[in-house]
Amino acid sequence: MNCEEFQSIGLDVGTRRITPEEQAEAATHASTCAKCAALADSWDAARGELAVFADATRSAEAPARVQMRLLQELRAQKRPHLVYRRGGVIAAWGLAAAAAIVAIVSWQSWHSKEKPPQTRINLPAVNVSLEQSSAAEAVLIADEDTGNFTPLPGALPIDSDTGAVYEVRMQRASLGALGLPVNEEGASDWINVDLLVADDGTPQGVRLHEDASQSAPVQ
Amino acid sequence: MQVPYERDDVLLRRAAKGEEAAFTELYRRHQASLYRYTLRMTGSPWSAEEIVQDVFMTLIRQPKKYDANKGEVGAFLFGITRNRVMKHLERSPREVSLDDENQPLSGKEPADLLTPAFWAERRERVEQIRDAVLSLPPEFREAVVLCELEELSYEEAAAKSGCPIGTIRSRLHRGRALLMARLELFRGVQRRASTGD
Repeated sequence: MNCEEFQSIGLDVGTRRITPEEQAEAATHASTCAKCAALADSWDAARGELAVFADATRSAEAPARVQMRLLQELRAQKRPHLVYRRGGVIAAWGLAAAAAIVAIVSWQSWHSKEKPPQTRINLPAVNVSLEQSSAAEAVLIADEDTGNFTPLPGALPIDSDTGAVYEVRMQRASLGALGLPVNEEGASDWINVDLLVADDGTPQGVRLHEDASQSAPVQ
Repeated sequence: MQVPYERDDVLLRRAAKGEEAAFTELYRRHQASLYRYTLRMTGSPWSAEEIVQDVFMTLIRQPKKYDANKGEVGAFLFGITRNRVMKHLERSPREVSLDDENQPLSGKEPADLLTPAFWAERRERVEQIRDAVLSLPPEFREAVVLCELEELSYEEAAAKSGCPIGTIRSRLHRGRALLMARLELFRGVQRRASTGD
């Protein structure tokens, strides 16, 4: 071993960093070289000093207050997660409830459009006939003459005191809306009919004038 | 009953979910070595305390910063600690407050008292050595701390410093030379003081 090699590994004598053979070579060189021996002595003294310093700090640990602060921070970090999670659950349930309410209201609205009110279902003939005869002129003929009327399907026998007879000009096809069969050939013809109407406005019977019955009789 | 040993990364995962027991175990495993390294590098118990606390705060706030593919949790923590120490030394290269001078370096009072004079002398010596170590440039100081005080091998010290073994050997060589000169100076002052020259 020369001086350069000694300066490189000679100061590691007594440590695990060099092999026993290298340690022996370093010791041999130091015994023959005064300069390297002085370096080794100087380093031995410094190493002794460092050992004192190392001993003084060997058992050093962070004070307990550090751990306490860290645990506080850990709890503080954990809490917002729980709050957010709880808030998220509440928000999710709220949204779900709101969506359910909207769905129910929408369905009810749609359902009510699909099915018209019961009163309208019961009176299709009246509505249609009145709409279709809106252009026609309606004339009250008599309150008591209820003879020779053809009762409309589903109509109840009417008392002559409570019914009214209107002369109405309408297209023959409108008789179909009242539930009567109509010959398609003269469906667009304008005819004059007497309409027996109950007090509640529902038509109860119809009587064709002679000219109308001759041209296109009701079947 | 023997408590099953859990790996650091398992503890970290549990700690990230807020489990205090897991975090406490992880902290107990690593705090002392990190604190010692920081204390020896900065020479200041206050700085060491602050840095170690900061490192574990990072672990609490950003546990996902740890990547198991890059190494073990201990190495990860040491890496953060080392960065904090180097930044601290850059910011205040020689910042040792008067309060620090009165702080026992170990953070603990001696358990057995020989004589007050012995402890006074020992304390003075320790402070001189600490000053000599702290007077080294940070890279040399780190090599001395890791290889001489922590007694790590060159390989371990190189891994911790994140540099090649040759660099560590070179830094240690120069650090030793500076340290010997500094300590020789102290011893010379002491000799002159004792002989009255």
